[in-house]
Amino acid sequence: MQLVPTVAGIVLVGFLLIHLAPGDPVLALAGEHGDAQYYSFMRQRFGLDEPLPQQLATYFRRVAVGDLGFSYVHGRATLQVIMERAPATLLLTGTALVFAVLFAIPLGILAARRPHGARDIGISALALGFYSAPIFWLGQLSILVIALHLGLLPVHGMTSPGSAAAGMSHVSDVMRHLALPALVLASHEITVLVRLTRSGLIDELTRDHIRTARAKGVRERLVMLHHALPRALLPVLTVVGNRAGHMLAGAAIVEIVFGWPGMGRLLLTSLQTRDAPILLGLFFVVSFTVILFNLVTDLLYAAIDPRVRFR
Amino acid sequence: MLRARRRRQIRYSLLVALVPFALACAPEGAKRGEQTLVAAIGGDPGHLNPAITTNGGVHTAAALLYNGLLTLDEDLQPLPELAERWEVEDGGARYRFHLRRDVRWHDGRPFTAADVKFTFDSLLLRFHARTRASLGPALTSVDAPDDSTIVFRFRQPYAPLLQQLDVVEAPILPRHVFAGSDPLRNPANTAPVGTGPFRFVSYRPDDEIRYAANLDYFQGAPQIQDLVLRVIPDPGMQVIALEAGEVDWLFAVPGPDRERLQGDPAVVLLQTTVNPGGSNCVTTLGFNLDRRWFRDVRVRRAIAHAVNRPQFLERVLFGEGRVATAPISSRIAFAHAGDLATPEFDTARASQLLESAGWRRIGNDVREARGVPGIENGTPFVVGFAALPSQAKFGDLLRAQLRDVGIDLRVHPLEPAVFAHTVFTARDFDTAIASYCNGTDPEIGVRRTLVSSSIAPVPFSNMAGYSNPIVDSLFDRAGAAIDLGDRRSLYREIQEIAVRDQPYVWLVETLATRAHTVRCSGFGTSAHFAATARCTRE
Repeated sequence: MQLVPTVAGIVLVGFLLIHLAPGDPVLALAGEHGDAQYYSFMRQRFGLDEPLPQQLATYFRRVAVGDLGFSYVHGRATLQVIMERAPATLLLTGTALVFAVLFAIPLGILAARRPHGARDIGISALALGFYSAPIFWLGQLSILVIALHLGLLPVHGMTSPGSAAAGMSHVSDVMRHLALPALVLASHEITVLVRLTRSGLIDELTRDHIRTARAKGVRERLVMLHHALPRALLPVLTVVGNRAGHMLAGAAIVEIVFGWPGMGRLLLTSLQTRDAPILLGLFFVVSFTVILFNLVTDLLYAAIDPRVRFR
Repeated sequence: MLRARRRRQIRYSLLVALVPFALACAPEGAKRGEQTLVAAIGGDPGHLNPAITTNGGVHTAAALLYNGLLTLDEDLQPLPELAERWEVEDGGARYRFHLRRDVRWHDGRPFTAADVKFTFDSLLLRFHARTRASLGPALTSVDAPDDSTIVFRFRQPYAPLLQQLDVVEAPILPRHVFAGSDPLRNPANTAPVGTGPFRFVSYRPDDEIRYAANLDYFQGAPQIQDLVLRVIPDPGMQVIALEAGEVDWLFAVPGPDRERLQGDPAVVLLQTTVNPGGSNCVTTLGFNLDRRWFRDVRVRRAIAHAVNRPQFLERVLFGEGRVATAPISSRIAFAHAGDLATPEFDTARASQLLESAGWRRIGNDVREARGVPGIENGTPFVVGFAALPSQAKFGDLLRAQLRDVGIDLRVHPLEPAVFAHTVFTARDFDTAIASYCNGTDPEIGVRRTLVSSSIAPVPFSNMAGYSNPIVDSLFDRAGAAIDLGDRRSLYREIQEIAVRDQPYVWLVETLATRAHTVRCSGFGTSAHFAATARCTRE
């Protein structure tokens, strides 16, 4: 129920930031060669000639009934423009998150089995390396090496240019385009999750119930997977839930590098053109998603950890 | 047991590691057809209505769908398009165009003069910023006396009209689609109907736009059957996509990549003066004449002497273009004055001028004011330089060059919306750089940089804030003169005064390089670049 004031607050701050920042959407839209009458004419059309509090009131009134306004640049409903791009972003971040979890947890277990052993040091070093590499650099490098020189994957976009593929061949076309950006986006998350899994497990393995289990003669694999891992994964789950929302931000860079037609690119171009309805709409959608993911995380907590109960 | 566990572990990790590669090895999507051309564009245009905006991205993408009354050849001379012939009447105050009768819209309806009248009255003169600002004040009416005749009437003789009727300046849209609607929100903006060589098929935002050949095109059906405009925001990525064969055509190639592509046998480069944002562009350094530093013409001329223009051409543009020698682009041949006394690169002369203006150099450092009117003695010569991020490289080089004569230039890259506001609305800058696209006539792109009436909060207007009544009246006479010889001498006079007053330093005339794969050929440099192209299988 904190959802409504939180989203309203975010939209308010966003609204003020956009409108108080230098730069004028009409100037950006009309470009050179316009005249003063043209600018005032356009300003009037977009309601930008009204005082700011009035614009704000109008905006909130519209949002309350689910109308996010009209984009200055696209000339279409904001929600429509955003929703056209949402599936691509969700596919990218979702796949990246799955990759991250699939890679990170086994690596974390491997590292935790013998802390400070050769394998642990190797995994930690590798993870740190990926974490330190800027994501745009990693993206461009992987395009150059894997896509351009080795020719294993397409360099760009979500589908092959001009492809008329449908059905299964369309799905496989999208998957080929998805692999590289999703891996690059996952690389950052993997590091965080590996380290969390590792430290959680190491901590957990010193607990009494683990000693009891070992004393009862439970096999080491079961100790690890059944007794230690579920509890060690609680912080991992928090972070995954948290990152899911934040990955939308990281996705912007990956979307630009790989030409992925998602919301991140829309955010960047709308910032450049000062397309306030789109920007606010994106703030709205993203903050809503982050809050939603946090809620889901809380619910999952209860499912995994018997100590957490909702009343 | 331990070995078995180890094996299971290895098997599991291998399995996990293979997931992305399994994804990757899925069979490739269908290959594209022989006559499919893929062109890269830099951004999602948002919509495809070129009559309601001057946005270069919209025009690049949408031009292929539409026609102008006329088109322009390589030398910017008018050729027939929707109009097959025309007469200039009443000493240049009235233009009569005879339209083709065999043109149909992509939806099958016939094209008539009513479409032209509607497009001008309801779209171009209201929403197309450039046509509205240049044609609007001069025009009295656009009339369609019959279905195949259109008449433009002006308050007084108007010379540049024939250069302003191509598909970029005045695309013609269908009345039956737009009449009675809000043109900014008409659904046809993303599902357009035109008369051009290609017709619209589909639009996937931020991904790709597809066109198909207009088989009934009045100038003959194009050979390219399917045209895909692929959105690739990063210029470097566009080049990589070209090299990987995913894309056949690039509208621009970044300087550093050009040399590499020149050596690539699979790629052909074309040079043109038409940039996506306009044609015949001159990169220009402007002084804010409201600032005390630049009130003295000696200071402005000193900076003009301190600027080494060939270095800009070489180091910033990688040789693509030419050094600017006059305020009007050399591509507007009739108006360009080629032999003006523009300041040569001469740092000694620059220093001398600065000393005489009261800017003393003590030691080897930044100059200080000694008796400069309005500036406190001891003030160091430190000035800002506002630039779009894409032009900040000019600032870095300029900073190094001005440092040699004791001026400390601070480069401030500003993103486009902020640049427009800072420089043209707030006028809160010392010096700035802009690419002024001269277009096809000095009336289009040069007038706005020099007349006092265009000192206005309008992007790329009179950046310097230069005001000279003589120049104002010369421009008015040149715009109304019909005789080319008269116009030439009026523009010559304007350029002489402009160079003497030096509100700007005209640095370089820029070119654009297009690139295409050898698989395809026959491209034009105009907006309809693909209408004459054809491809073969690799």
